[in-house]
Amino acid sequence: MSGAGTTTEVALRPWPAPVNQALSKEAIHSQIGQLAAERGHLRGITEKALHEEIATGKDAPKETTGQDEEDGEAATHEKKNEPTTIEKLEDIFRAKVDMVSALNVVAWNAAGALDLVALMLSRDPTKVLDNSFSAHFKAQNVPKGAFGVDRGTPPDRSDQHDESLRNAEDERRHQLVARGSSMDALDWATDNILKAATELETGVRKETKYWAEIMSISEKGWSIQRSRRGVRHAPFAVRYGHSEASDHFKARGLAPLRMDRDGSIILDPALALKPKVLRVRISDHGRVTGTSKLPSKGEVTELALENSIQLARDSFFEEDLYHEMCLESRQLVAYGVEIRDSAIHIVSPSLSNPATHRTIMIDCILREETSQGSHEQPLDWLAQNVAEALRFLLAHEHRMRRFQRSQLPHPLTQQKRTTRTPPLLRTLLSVFSHVNAVNSVSAYLAVLARTFSSAGIGCSLQVTGESSWKKLTTLIRESTRKDISAVDQLFEVFTKHLDGVVTLSLPSSSGAEPEVITIATRTYIGPPTFGAEHKVTIPPSMASVLNLSSDQKRDFKFSSSEGVTSYLDWILSLDLTHSLLLELYRGRATLQSKEPQITIGSKVGKRPIDKDVTIEVADGELRASLKHSSEHDSSGREGTFVWDGSNGQPTLQAMVKSWVG
Amino acid sequence: MHELLLYGQVPAPRHDQVLKILAGVAALQPRRLLARHIIYKPQRAPDEPGSHLRRGGTQAIGGKNHKQPVAKDLYYSQLVQKLSEEDLNRSGPQPSNGSSSTGGTGSGAEPKWTIEFQDVPDTGDRGVSIRMTTSTGILSGDPHAYMLSNGPNQFMSEYYVEGHQIVHGNVVVFLHRVLHDSSGTSPKANLPKFTELKPFDPSGAYILEAKVQVQEFNNTNVLEAGVDELKRFQSQMKGCVELSVPDRLSLDTRVKYKAAAPSSKKAQPGAR
Repeated sequence: MSGAGTTTEVALRPWPAPVNQALSKEAIHSQIGQLAAERGHLRGITEKALHEEIATGKDAPKETTGQDEEDGEAATHEKKNEPTTIEKLEDIFRAKVDMVSALNVVAWNAAGALDLVALMLSRDPTKVLDNSFSAHFKAQNVPKGAFGVDRGTPPDRSDQHDESLRNAEDERRHQLVARGSSMDALDWATDNILKAATELETGVRKETKYWAEIMSISEKGWSIQRSRRGVRHAPFAVRYGHSEASDHFKARGLAPLRMDRDGSIILDPALALKPKVLRVRISDHGRVTGTSKLPSKGEVTELALENSIQLARDSFFEEDLYHEMCLESRQLVAYGVEIRDSAIHIVSPSLSNPATHRTIMIDCILREETSQGSHEQPLDWLAQNVAEALRFLLAHEHRMRRFQRSQLPHPLTQQKRTTRTPPLLRTLLSVFSHVNAVNSVSAYLAVLARTFSSAGIGCSLQVTGESSWKKLTTLIRESTRKDISAVDQLFEVFTKHLDGVVTLSLPSSSGAEPEVITIATRTYIGPPTFGAEHKVTIPPSMASVLNLSSDQKRDFKFSSSEGVTSYLDWILSLDLTHSLLLELYRGRATLQSKEPQITIGSKVGKRPIDKDVTIEVADGELRASLKHSSEHDSSGREGTFVWDGSNGQPTLQAMVKSWVG
Repeated sequence: MHELLLYGQVPAPRHDQVLKILAGVAALQPRRLLARHIIYKPQRAPDEPGSHLRRGGTQAIGGKNHKQPVAKDLYYSQLVQKLSEEDLNRSGPQPSNGSSSTGGTGSGAEPKWTIEFQDVPDTGDRGVSIRMTTSTGILSGDPHAYMLSNGPNQFMSEYYVEGHQIVHGNVVVFLHRVLHDSSGTSPKANLPKFTELKPFDPSGAYILEAKVQVQEFNNTNVLEAGVDELKRFQSQMKGCVELSVPDRLSLDTRVKYKAAAPSSKKAQPGAR
């Protein structure tokens, strides 16, 4: 272009166009028109021919080369005017029309494709696509997102051979992979099933063992109960405590039956505690003379668990017993009960010899400790009996608590009912002191009765240790309380007050119905007697001797046996003098005082002499002494005679007769 | 004395199961009880309701408020006899000195006969039925003659109660059913055999009665404690027996007024 006008040799070349850009419709039209104008026709115009033309210098008309488009057009206009052929122009025009129509079709298709893509994309509301739609499409008012596309099955290409080959190969590979993986999965499943089977097997074994042990425990009579929810590995618990134990112990009497890894039952810590046992020792003057034995173990079972349940139950009972006694001992300090070194000490006089300082010691020790030092001691029997009695009493208390629970409750009131401690030590104490009191009185009276009989004085003695013990069988047989068992009625007799009766006939009275002195002993640890109490009832004749008015009570209470014996001594000596001798020497005898002394007048020669006979009963001996009342006279004898129960002694009457004549 | 009550129903097939559950709950063996109830009604007919109200004008001197006499309600009362198994299984006639006619028992023993009176339950809503009761033991004499002359009453009917009693704390649980026999015009001198008695409910269902007795009814703490204990038992038995408050008027023991003929209505054996 620059300086083109100066040179004539100008190469014909196309207008440099952008590489990617196709010629526009108008440009193509104009170029075709230009070509037709230059050459007259398009036939024979090839690249080679054009190169040759360039080489030979034969070129297009000068006026068009290097000119502006206006010039070119002008040239074409010039060419049009050339008389080539009118048909040629028509052909060109027809081709042009064809081309235009084809281009229109293409443009329409492209617009349609664009519309389609835009319509597809329009499903996404975030995309702004309004400008992408063609006007024609917009006019149709197709709703947005009305067209969708999805992945479907690929079109069948099996008709192609290699495609099918490749498909077959793929298929084979897939099958191989599938087979491999399914074998893998089967392998894994087998492993799992086997593992589950072994797990199930161990589970079954575990459960079988657990249940067998549960059954064996249950068959032995232990009460099995479901444990609370939420306790793992322990669906059941065994209750070995006593249902009526005190609250403190009731909570302890339950042990869960836990399962260990192989199914056997784990010992609960509550069961594995070292069992304890109650021990009763008797000590005389600080020397142990009797120890209770270990309670029998019951039947031995092969299962360690059952053994330990049984031991736990026994230990539980003993601990409960000890606990109750400790509580009770606090109320019994006045009776010489105290706790020292965690042992309950009960001071109790020996039954055979009251002078002995005897102590009963009760403590709770570990079961193993009892096995040592098991040599025989003389009072083992007593210790053993005390221990058994205490156990029986607690068992009785448990049964009575249950009985009380089954009775109709009292209507609700504001007052709280006090729960008493069970009378365990109290019963023991009351039995001891009762037997002691009755025995000491009756033993003394037995000695006295022998002495009296050796002195020729008739006197009979009757001893009833405990009135209700005597008629125990009839008491139970005739009982109207059907809901209490005979054993419990038996124990109730012991826990109530104890009554003993000793009767001694008066020496002065004789015949079928002799007058008697009654010594009733009543023992109860608690109000009103607080121990043993003797009540001496004297017969009416005695009352007149004692100058008691008729409306006065003829019974006297003593709290100790010493008081009773000394009173009886005095009464009996009074009876001997004031009734027996007075009756014997009626008319001659006079009573000087209220002392057991009688003055009997006798005649020795002409002088009447008064002789004093004094009777004294003491320590089981009868002592009669003769004294002259008038000092100035000493002719007569003075003497004393003592009856101590030995045989071959003269009678009292004979003795007095020999004295007084 | 006041009673706090809840009732539940137990069908006959479940009786044994419920009894076992109750024994487990209370940790006690049930006690079998047999009793005979004889219902008496006052001979006097009840006043017409509202008859005490002032009608028409009055000639009383004005200014003085005369208290209107309130019509007294009349109540059914009953005589309860404790029975043992032997009493109802005896084949021959009753021994002449039998306890069926006299209430004489030895001193100290529980009386066989008691006069029981039960008031209409309270209107209050505490979740349990509350009513006043009195129970008087008869130690000697002829209870039936006493009841007839005291009132004076007339014999209505008699029925028998058999069941089991379990005490759970302060709650007295009585699982029982009412049996009856063809009734006559006076209490039977000879007790019928147990096999001759038929359940009042033909299905043979049992009644579960849970009762707490309260002495100091006016003390709120005591009453609350009783109600709480009864409700605790109620929730404990949930799922086994549904205990509920009975309809107040179904436990009405008042004699109904009948305008027309003198009442010859039979007392319901279940009305207690």
